[in-house]
Amino acid sequence: MTNPAKPADAHRTWRAGRVLLALSCVFAVIAVGGVGWLAVDLYAVGVAAGRLQGETVPWTIERQRLGRNLEQLRLEGQRVLTAPSPAGRQDALFLVHMLSAQPGMADDPRTATLAAEVERFLQQVESPTTAADMRAWEALSSRLRLMADDLSVEGGKRMSRELVRMSGEMERASYKLLFNLALMAGFMAAFLLVVRRYLIRPLQRIRLVLSALDARGPEPAFPPEPMAEIRAVEDAIIRFHATLRENDEVRLRLERLATTDGLTGLFNRHHFMGLAADEMARAARYGRPITVGIADLDHFKQVNDSLGHAAGDHVLQTFARLLGDTLRQTDRVCRYGGEEFAFVFPETTPDEAQQLGERLRACLLESPPTLPDGRRLAVTFSLGLADASGCGLEDSLARADLGLYEAKRAGRNRTVVTGRPDGL
Amino acid sequence: MAKTIFRCLSVFCLVAVVGLAHGAERVLKVGVIHHSPPMSYLEASGALTGFNVEIMRELCKEMAARCETVALTLDRVVDALADGEVDFAAVSLLVTPERRARILLTKPYFRSISVWFARPGIKPGEARVAVVKGSIQARYAQAHAWPIQPFDNHEAIFGALAAGRAEAALLPMANAVALRQDARALAQGLASTVLQDPELVGDAALGVNPRDRALLDKLNEAIDEIKGDGRFDRINTRFIPFRLQ
Repeated sequence: MTNPAKPADAHRTWRAGRVLLALSCVFAVIAVGGVGWLAVDLYAVGVAAGRLQGETVPWTIERQRLGRNLEQLRLEGQRVLTAPSPAGRQDALFLVHMLSAQPGMADDPRTATLAAEVERFLQQVESPTTAADMRAWEALSSRLRLMADDLSVEGGKRMSRELVRMSGEMERASYKLLFNLALMAGFMAAFLLVVRRYLIRPLQRIRLVLSALDARGPEPAFPPEPMAEIRAVEDAIIRFHATLRENDEVRLRLERLATTDGLTGLFNRHHFMGLAADEMARAARYGRPITVGIADLDHFKQVNDSLGHAAGDHVLQTFARLLGDTLRQTDRVCRYGGEEFAFVFPETTPDEAQQLGERLRACLLESPPTLPDGRRLAVTFSLGLADASGCGLEDSLARADLGLYEAKRAGRNRTVVTGRPDGL
Repeated sequence: MAKTIFRCLSVFCLVAVVGLAHGAERVLKVGVIHHSPPMSYLEASGALTGFNVEIMRELCKEMAARCETVALTLDRVVDALADGEVDFAAVSLLVTPERRARILLTKPYFRSISVWFARPGIKPGEARVAVVKGSIQARYAQAHAWPIQPFDNHEAIFGALAAGRAEAALLPMANAVALRQDARALAQGLASTVLQDPELVGDAALGVNPRDRALLDKLNEAIDEIKGDGRFDRINTRFIPFRLQ
């Protein structure tokens, strides 16, 4: 079983506008998706940066303030133990109370516990300080110092943790950005390729075809194109070419009708006169010889009367064919009227024309017209020739006509050359 | 023609410059209280200074505003703000619902506690307590039905304590530190106790004219800025022996 072959025009076509719209929609969806995908990370980076600036940095500074207060607490504690005067000791103890009661100190359980311990210890120490007190204080002092250290680096640690997370988000965002850019570039390239393949290339082909379009050339051929608009233009070009060809044929037919004789296919008298005038002008311009002639079939009326018009027409057609076969390409001949024929022989003297006329007569004798029923008709013609060089066409034809008249009078079936009126 | 255009342009430039200069520097009226060391007080030279005063100067610089001080007493601060007499007050106000209902308050710039000062042996509520009129401490003492001895400012309390005209006082943390450093008061051998009642502990903020929310936003931004770039801590170090938090 074979599938029926699809006709060439049956392939599916798409409207370029819709295709471009569909491509744009796909592109827009992909672009919006890509940007949204990227925006998630950019938003996260923004949030992280905001948190870093709005929370972590102030928190870090607060931690450092707390560390500084712990250090202050340590210094005041030292002063409580070593102050030379009770007033100095009281002053230092007051500040120890203040520092321990600070809301900032109370917020963090570690500092709250340690500060309370320090406060209790310093309150119960009596002056003068004993070595045991000093040892206990050294231990507390060391704990205060370590905690101050811890607090001052806590902020840095938190900041660096957040920065690492943020830079991870930024890196991811930059990869996504690169991916998005590559995607856009790829899509743009694909888009351009589609436009080139399905719009620009066909347009170039159309331009080539149009520039070489010829009514007499072959029908333009296009490969099947999927774009409906291109296809429409191509179809229009094919139709246009067909119209051109039809018009050309009509023009040729009209031209033939206007210039030739319907029965014999020879030029008609009107067209012949134009051609003859051109030849005369050329001969006069270059001083070349030229001869005109008028021929008439002998006893043609009898053929018509005895054998009928169809036989007459046949004789005329045969004679015309003979003229076409025998005369030179440059010679001009027409059906002058009825059974009369007119000639122009450029580059030909009357003598040469006479030889030509004789040859023609011999040919007609050799191959006389044969009727459909096989009968051969003995047909002859008389020819009058006149030297036309340096003379007017009408005048020369009139002299040739005189020659024809002479030939008829002298018994027909002959050629008579009429001399020039100036006797040259 | 060219001359006319030149004149027009000159006038336009002048107007623009004046306008920009005017827009760039706004004049703000700032309420300050005197005689409240170390927060705001007059130096020996007569110049106004103190923690709150210097903070106010930095905030004004940060907001690119020209600030003119208006002297107030603490009991008049909230009224002056509510009446629009001043744009904001360089006074540490403990945040309370009553104050919040009448004026705008900036974000807290530190937290405060209160300290009881008295001759040794006198417990809170046992003697007349010296307080500044309009202070949170005065309100606390009244709420607890303590006999009070009202004063206009902290220096007056310091003087009364030094002269033996007062036996006890309830002071905010920073003023307590200043009193502790006052030689005359020290001579009286005053004992101190930190009071941890929630009414006496809390956020301290600056008061703002209730109709100027834009100024509030600018002040909040400026507070963040000076707390972040170290200016706050430098002023802290100049006036108070430990970090305010």
